[in-house]
Amino acid sequence: MTKLLLTIHVLAAIVAIGPVTVAASMFPAATRRADLPTLRTLHRICTVYTALGVVVPVFGLATATSLGVLGDAWLLVSIGLTLLAAAVLALLVLPRQAAVLTTLAGEPGPPAPPAEPSDHPSPATRARRRWPDRVPASAPRPAGLAW
Amino acid sequence: MSSRLLRAAAPVELISLALLLVNLATAHWQAVASLFGPVHGCAYLFVIGATIHKSRDTRTRLLAIVPGIGGLLVIRRHKTRPATPAEAEEFSATPRQASLDQDATS
Repeated sequence: MTKLLLTIHVLAAIVAIGPVTVAASMFPAATRRADLPTLRTLHRICTVYTALGVVVPVFGLATATSLGVLGDAWLLVSIGLTLLAAAVLALLVLPRQAAVLTTLAGEPGPPAPPAEPSDHPSPATRARRRWPDRVPASAPRPAGLAW
Repeated sequence: MSSRLLRAAAPVELISLALLLVNLATAHWQAVASLFGPVHGCAYLFVIGATIHKSRDTRTRLLAIVPGIGGLLVIRRHKTRPATPAEAEEFSATPRQASLDQDATS
């Protein structure tokens, strides 16, 4: 049973943590390009695989219980680091990604504004005028995107 | 995504708990407890996570924490009284245009 629990723990760790690392690391570059479809995909990868990542500590604790090592220092440190990483992910990274998406996507629903050009169109307006989801690099960026 | 996760995890939460209790009362196989214990724990955490992600209502979130039947209680609450149009859409599984969760109807 220990072997089964450990297998599930390790498999879940590989499957769940890897994609989040890759997608979250690609997010800032895609933000700079204002590539909205890519940003949506990356954010979706991050949220889905973060949710899946719940399996990792649950089965880790099950394995530790099965092995009888629950009080060991190395395990407590591992659990602490995992909690820290989960907090950073859930409270900092994912909300910031959602905020970037909200800012770049603008208001959903209504069609493009009338043809009269304004002096300072928002990035969303300029994007709707030219390409559906791309904003030219020269467009003013919303504040707060710089890391 | 969250409503689909909630609808999947809620029955798992209840059934795994039932299996654990039956096991405890009868044969008490260690293997069953070792395997279904974490399964129940994962389902419980999925239910809480999905509810917090989907609903702003404190009462609904507290319902999710109820052991065993929390997920089913949240689903029932949203069927009878959807708090906002957005939440009603999510829980009735109608597809939304231009949303992040491009879920098909389940």
